[in-house]
Amino acid sequence: MNRSTLYRTLVVLLLCAVPLLVAAAKVGDAAPEFTATASTGKTVRLADYRGKYVVLEWHNNGCPYVGKHYNSGNMQRLQKQWTSQGVVWFTIVSSAPGKQGYVTASEENDYLTKEHAAPTAALLDPTGEIGHLYDAKTSPQMVVINPQGVVIYSGAIDDKPTFDLQDVQGATNYVSLALEQAMAGKPVQTPSTRPYGCSVKYRD
Amino acid sequence: MPRTIRRDEASWTVHTSKVRMRQRDPRPGFCRALTLAVASLFCAVGARAAGAPIPHGTLELVAENQWITAGRTIHVGLHFQLEKGWHVYWVNPGDSGEPPRVKWQLPAGVTAGEMEWPTPRRLGTATIVDFGYEDDVMLIVPLRAWAGVVAQGPGQGTAQLSAEVKVLVCREMCIPGKAQVSLTLPVKSQAPAPDAQTAALFAAARRAVPRPAPANWRISVADARDSFALAAKLGQGVPQAIFFPLEESQIKDAAPQQFVAVPGGFRLTLQKSDQLLKPIARLRGVLVLAGDRGYIIDVPVSKAVAARHEDGIEIGPAEPLKEVPLK
Repeated sequence: MNRSTLYRTLVVLLLCAVPLLVAAAKVGDAAPEFTATASTGKTVRLADYRGKYVVLEWHNNGCPYVGKHYNSGNMQRLQKQWTSQGVVWFTIVSSAPGKQGYVTASEENDYLTKEHAAPTAALLDPTGEIGHLYDAKTSPQMVVINPQGVVIYSGAIDDKPTFDLQDVQGATNYVSLALEQAMAGKPVQTPSTRPYGCSVKYRD
Repeated sequence: MPRTIRRDEASWTVHTSKVRMRQRDPRPGFCRALTLAVASLFCAVGARAAGAPIPHGTLELVAENQWITAGRTIHVGLHFQLEKGWHVYWVNPGDSGEPPRVKWQLPAGVTAGEMEWPTPRRLGTATIVDFGYEDDVMLIVPLRAWAGVVAQGPGQGTAQLSAEVKVLVCREMCIPGKAQVSLTLPVKSQAPAPDAQTAALFAAARRAVPRPAPANWRISVADARDSFALAAKLGQGVPQAIFFPLEESQIKDAAPQQFVAVPGGFRLTLQKSDQLLKPIARLRGVLVLAGDRGYIIDVPVSKAVAARHEDGIEIGPAEPLKEVPLK
């Protein structure tokens, strides 16, 4: 048995031994694949977007920190700015039924219209499966995936972790920074931050 | 292009009210009456000012002393009283939330010192853990009156101490609030006398503030790749220990802290945060032993000990309190 076979065997053994310890995606890791139902009813597979930058935005319409970025128009502006440059933007709702932020497909569509939001799609994740895959802790937590399918940013939307609407202006937006740097062929200087906001309302 | 900022009234509950010591806010209203009723349920100490309403609770500004004196420091407290199940946050809020933010409005010659944060509790779920306070908490702030303190405010020879407090109050959901609290104290030349009405409140708040770790404790922290191995020699065994990191993004807040009792102390394994991309020189935080007693620790993180500790051969040497130059 050569060294690499031994290594592989060990890895397989380890994986078998700890099936419950599925590590959530970290910066530098391959973005975990998922299949989700969009609020339009369409089925969305992350794998279909390989070759493009993908932004994941964790959403809860009752969270004041989400309100900060939607009521100021900041989130919609980012969605329009980046999708117009070919970036794929998924707004993800991981609230469980009965919890704050849970929406049906039609409620989410009404919300998107009312807020003039412009993500590529809003994905419904009532089981929290996608949220846990990416270890999403808060709304609005943000993740950026590069065209090779690697997580290049995970964390806060910006550097002002408050609920104050006036803090949107003048904040350094980590999502835009990551996209700009990656698109310019530079390393992402701030690849990981503490995501701020409300806790994601997962099912118990 | 900046847009018009809209405010969603449903998710933004902003209350503003002024409070003076021993003087009720004269504003009527059902909401206020309800808040007062709730506040009185929690009010363990005798007659004091009614609090300013915050979401699901009240906030009052209280003083430990009856007056202020040039050249002396007095202490005031921001006293939060919350409805059952609701909480506010520690200086490091953990996975979500944010700590109360205070903007002081003080007369010339009075400056606010650093806030003293009581030992927090772990709150939240299995996957998301926050650090904060339920029910009743008071944050103590020292106010230094300098030699040139000028008596200002509504009456002669008085100083008005005011604070604008922004606070996030959460249970299953979070509601941001804002309160304006103030308090008028005389300015006198005699040394500031304690106020008997607030003495019990301040005594309780001081008991809740973590104290420096005893000098005979030996604590070491080793960087063990995906975790920090904290080893404590206290001279006695303890049944449990929980660590609260003062800095964000150093340890995984929601991860169980593996406690192992050893003769004369314990070992605690703290999983590193995914956001921690660089080595840290020191680990600072509050260690809570049985009985909710908190101790402040500030320990250099050693690399050399890590491998030995991982092998389980040795706990690690007694704390080398000299800072190890890192990176």
